[in-house]
Amino acid sequence: MDSLCDEPREVRDDIVVACFYFDSTAQEEQGAASVLGALLKQVIGCYKWIPEEITDTFQRHKKFVGGRELEIPEIVKMLGIFSSPRHIYFCLDALDECAAPDRAKILLSLKEIVKMSPTTRLFLTGRPYVGHEVRKHFPEGTALISISPRNGDIIHYIHAKLVEDTNSGEMDEEIRERNCEEYSGNCL
Amino acid sequence: MLNNHDITDSDEQSKILTWLSPLEPHLGHNDLRTNRVKGVGEWLLSTKEFRSWKHGDGKSESQKAIIFFTGNLGVGKTYIR
Repeated sequence: MDSLCDEPREVRDDIVVACFYFDSTAQEEQGAASVLGALLKQVIGCYKWIPEEITDTFQRHKKFVGGRELEIPEIVKMLGIFSSPRHIYFCLDALDECAAPDRAKILLSLKEIVKMSPTTRLFLTGRPYVGHEVRKHFPEGTALISISPRNGDIIHYIHAKLVEDTNSGEMDEEIRERNCEEYSGNCL
Repeated sequence: MLNNHDITDSDEQSKILTWLSPLEPHLGHNDLRTNRVKGVGEWLLSTKEFRSWKHGDGKSESQKAIIFFTGNLGVGKTYIR
């Protein structure tokens, strides 16, 4: 996600990146409407003011007793409207940690948004078993990259963590190298 | 061209944003940035699939609108930069 945000503005100045990180321990709060609403909130963050379409809808919903929440079709419509003039990247991490019924609603909504705004890009991550759900909603438009640990990454990671370790001086250099090799070997 | 309200009342603005969603995913993102180890997994950003996806403009069918990184628990999907 940061690699998208770091894109030089002289190359592209219309980029908006909205993210969401699913957490299996927070499924109750992370319902489909709240997740899509959180994406919308980030998209309109690039506007100087909250767009009139949203303030008007808020005022209208406020009139109901106790206020009325936004419904998914309303959020999808707004995401489609506000995504269109820009190059939007939606990054959703750990789809497998989202409750299955909410995941289905979210993927369906994202499909609608991509249809309304073809420049929209989705960056999704998840364990392999949710792959078929992603492909079901986007049968032709999905690039799939399978990740497995690489030796170089593991050694680099362990070295970086040892540098941060305040007691690392107590470890002999030879033992340190051997640990890195053994850990990386165990992971692969 | 969109017409916008100049909302001077920050309380009202804050109410609208919370009404859109009480969730604040950017807070989690800041934690991830802090814990990410620089250089790990950078190779993913050099793959032709990622570069094609990132620079796609929706005009060509060969450019995919969706990129799905998949792998088992703990492989580092969340920390992709």
